[in-house]
Amino acid sequence: MARSGRSAQKGVRRSPKRLVLGVLIFGFAALIVAQSAPQISQFFNPVRASVGDRLGGGEQIGLWARLTGRAAQEQRIRELEAQVRDLSRYKAAAISMADRLEAYEEILNLLGEPPARGVTARVTSESEGPFAQTLLANAGRSQGVEPGSVAMNEGGLVGRVIQLGERSSRILLVTDFNSRVPVIGEVSGVHAIMQGGSTSSGTLTDLPERSDFIEGERILTSSEGGAYPRGLVVGEVHKSGNDWRVKYAMSDGSSGYVQLIPPPTVERPISAGDLPALEDGTSASPTQGARR
Amino acid sequence: MPASFLTRRRQSLWAKSGPTPRLLFGSFLIATVGLFGLTRNDIFGLSFAWPHAALWGAVGWGRVGLSIRPMIILIVFGAIQDVIFHAPMGSFEVVNLMTYAASTAISAEFDVTNEPLIAIIATTLLFAGAFLLLWLMASTLEDHPVRLLPLIAAMLTTGLLYALIHKVFDLGRRPGETVGQAS
Repeated sequence: MARSGRSAQKGVRRSPKRLVLGVLIFGFAALIVAQSAPQISQFFNPVRASVGDRLGGGEQIGLWARLTGRAAQEQRIRELEAQVRDLSRYKAAAISMADRLEAYEEILNLLGEPPARGVTARVTSESEGPFAQTLLANAGRSQGVEPGSVAMNEGGLVGRVIQLGERSSRILLVTDFNSRVPVIGEVSGVHAIMQGGSTSSGTLTDLPERSDFIEGERILTSSEGGAYPRGLVVGEVHKSGNDWRVKYAMSDGSSGYVQLIPPPTVERPISAGDLPALEDGTSASPTQGARR
Repeated sequence: MPASFLTRRRQSLWAKSGPTPRLLFGSFLIATVGLFGLTRNDIFGLSFAWPHAALWGAVGWGRVGLSIRPMIILIVFGAIQDVIFHAPMGSFEVVNLMTYAASTAISAEFDVTNEPLIAIIATTLLFAGAFLLLWLMASTLEDHPVRLLPLIAAMLTTGLLYALIHKVFDLGRRPGETVGQAS
């Protein structure tokens, strides 16, 4: 191969830029390692959140639209988008309520889920890089989104909010390798954990030994663990070799909007020490309460 | 009219421009491609792999030797990529700077400007190395081997586009060289 001979000429006087480059690479590598400590990685969260706000929360009319006299049109488009968001919220709420009503009719005295509340937001960017698979939506804390909110689209479950800014939310997709969703078969009632890792289908793990899913049945969230409400459509189950795989329902919806539903809240049980004292001075136990 | 005068008059604006305007234009191009990359990357059902445009700068700018300004620009782009890809801070800075360092080292050893074969092999190796490093880093930091297909798609897109626009990332002169000295 042809050699330019530059290295031989330059070998005598080493440039300090090499040292600078080496120090920079070493410094950034050290920074990466240091972020394994949560205290240090949390230090960058405000930066990420504020950049997310800038990227995701751009609702003001741009300079170009003002210069070209299209500000009124842009304004009208924003209004219509807001209406679509509202309507899609009502549609999703209606579907969700119909499903629940059916379940309530079957099982009487069931403690129902809280009524659907939520914010519909536009997906402004999508990161399909080698790291976490996330979406950025243009609604945040100031629009009423809560940490851990559940994201849905027209098809079904999309993911969970893992980072919250004032006007933006970052959603970890159910397709991400680190995503785990407790699910239940709609017909079979079999419980399992759905693990992400592929863009088209998730793998079902932790299956019971004796029962099995029914080919093609819908898979819903089971609300175990308290991260997701019960009954959200996740997808359709199919057998693939020895594994059961879920074809994501969210792939059916691609309007670019997600509904952010607050995570379910389960009240902590009152500890025995905080229970009201009985007349003889001893505190009541849960069994005693039940007997009375 | 002397022939040298005619030659000089035929020179394009790009040929006459020095490293600074070229560096700025290259940065502008990277930023523009990056900005489009932030939007949804599926149109009419087709999914596009957006190029890791900062690597164009790392490969192209490294061909004329080490310089501080490209390093700073690559760090800035790396930080933006970290935030966009939700990667630990420093990940893309390391990839960009390592690629820049490798590009500089290769151009110092081999004549990448006059030998097309060496230039192509070097560029291919640099992009492959950069994406391999990215994959290794992502797999290590995420505690599992991350999917290769999107990275390969991004690598092909990045490489093919670089083949078309590599002249934009040619700074023309080595740091410290004057116009007459440039080879």
